[in-house]
Amino acid sequence: MTQAASAPVLLVGPLLLFMAAFYAFPVLAMLARSVTDPHPTLANFAHLAGDGVFLHVFGTTLRTAFIVTAGTLFLGYPVALALSRMRPTAATITLVIVLLPFWTSVLVRSYAWMVLLGRRGLINEALRALDLIDAPLRLLNTPLAVNLAMIHILLPYMILPIASVLRQIDPSLPRAAAGMGATPWGAFRQVVLPLSMPGALAGTLLVFVLSLGFYITPALVGGPRDLMLSQLIAQQVDLLNWPYAACLSVTLLAATLVLLGATQVLPGVRGAFRLGTR
Amino acid sequence: MSLSRRHLLALSAASLASWRALAQDAPLPEIASVPAALKGSGEVRVVGYGGTMQTAQRKAYNDPFEQLTGIKVRDFAGADLNKVKAMVDTGNVEWDVVQLSRGSVKNLLKRGDYFEKIDYELVDVANIDPAYRFEYALDMLVWAEVLGYRTDAFKGAVPVGWKDFWDLKKFPGDRSLIGAGGSSNPELEFAVMAAGVSPDKVYPIDVDKAFAALDTIKPSIVKWWETGAVPVQMLTDKEVVMTSVWNGRMAALQAAGVPAAISWPQGLLKRDAWAVPKNSPNKANAMKYIAFTTMAAPMARLASLIPYGSVNDKSNALIAPAQLAKLPSAPGIKEKLVPYDYEWWAANRDAVLDRWNKWVLA
Repeated sequence: MTQAASAPVLLVGPLLLFMAAFYAFPVLAMLARSVTDPHPTLANFAHLAGDGVFLHVFGTTLRTAFIVTAGTLFLGYPVALALSRMRPTAATITLVIVLLPFWTSVLVRSYAWMVLLGRRGLINEALRALDLIDAPLRLLNTPLAVNLAMIHILLPYMILPIASVLRQIDPSLPRAAAGMGATPWGAFRQVVLPLSMPGALAGTLLVFVLSLGFYITPALVGGPRDLMLSQLIAQQVDLLNWPYAACLSVTLLAATLVLLGATQVLPGVRGAFRLGTR
Repeated sequence: MSLSRRHLLALSAASLASWRALAQDAPLPEIASVPAALKGSGEVRVVGYGGTMQTAQRKAYNDPFEQLTGIKVRDFAGADLNKVKAMVDTGNVEWDVVQLSRGSVKNLLKRGDYFEKIDYELVDVANIDPAYRFEYALDMLVWAEVLGYRTDAFKGAVPVGWKDFWDLKKFPGDRSLIGAGGSSNPELEFAVMAAGVSPDKVYPIDVDKAFAALDTIKPSIVKWWETGAVPVQMLTDKEVVMTSVWNGRMAALQAAGVPAAISWPQGLLKRDAWAVPKNSPNKANAMKYIAFTTMAAPMARLASLIPYGSVNDKSNALIAPAQLAKLPSAPGIKEKLVPYDYEWWAANRDAVLDRWNKWVLA
């Protein structure tokens, strides 16, 4: 191996060793449990396929992840666009505002939503003051509460990758489009939007994958039937049913990997996680 | 997202309940001396749940234990049955004394030799009810899972027992009960009592009867709670008018001025227990610590700081009457409660939870 070729290996070597020892090995050992504990078996996976509880919970988890991803994309893209067009000072201030929830504990943010959505919470009180409702609406402990709180918590993960890609787009490109007669909307739709797709996809994948593993927020603001997969895994761990918990975890990991793999096949996605060397 | 449930529990407690119930400056019964058998040297590593409980344990147990026995106490938060299993499995036991429940200890014992036997030679057995003593664990904290309600919800009517909890006409409004998360089990006991089973006939639980009763209340349950802070928050915010709740949390709520009260009759009398993981590094000191803390005075010190009861019969005489009135182990309250049957749950937990999970999502 030439010196030039071995340099990157040396650079990532320490991290690689660290990850192998403290991440890959324990994770693999835990995952192996799903087929080896107490003896080699596929019984856990067979049980999984016929487990109505698992199928229901997996469905809830996927549905929540889809809704939250769509919500963050819908709310986050305009913010990212605005961010990319601001003067440096305004952009910095906006960025801090975007990041503020990012620096706050998930727990605190979940409790904040309890305060807002409660029966005597801000939203119900406001609606009552406006005479729009007679009795308080049930907002807390519902799927709606889970979706709202998760969208809020995950929004920065959507905004940041999109904003970073948008900022890299050469401003002369939309100007050129305008010069050639494109309307502002046309320039956005035909130039900026396609160029920003890698950021949107990176954000989408990040938010979706993070949503799949949410635990605290659904437990705190969710309703009686909003059980997420991570809650089911935790329950099985507490039951000392480690092999089945491992089996559930393998399934969650596999679903995530399949999804990541599938998106890599889509056109325009391949560059989503590459460094910006366009 | 990667926070453990215990961690979550401790954080929730800190952020929600104001815990003014912890009477920081309550006068504590002094302990003049300990039996020579409890003296020693070295250290003992004690693992609890952190938060207010551990602060109280430090003051009630650890300080006098260190002074009187010469054994140093190092305490940690994060008691967890799964960690005990992992430590013993890998031969890397770091804990000497762990706060668990007898049910948890039994569940793990079903899977192998994970705990040391308690050394009852050292323990004040003359004053500790045999019901509190188990070969591999000694109960050390008496608490209750009770009916908590908003006193402003029913025009002065007071719900008594689970028939009233199930009575949606007389006591209208949303409710909450415990779910199947964490180390807690669904409250089938409450369901069968609502269906007319008398408190002394609750065990063995008629599971079919319990689920039939739960069917009727299910539409009014807005939340199956998992962490102790949630029922307290829901009562505070009027999300529910009635809920099952841990008595210590209710004391904190009342101290914060929320119009809510405990209805003790037909509550469940539960206990936390000390257990010693197999091959703990300071096993001898662990046994001394367990024996010391379950003596009358240390138990009374803890109960004076935080409203959880003692397992030692001689403790009540050492606790101020006003504080005693809040304790599930107090005379006049204890008789109203149904002692939780850890044996029944150890034998039936897996089957019940399996059925429960399907039932909750249906």
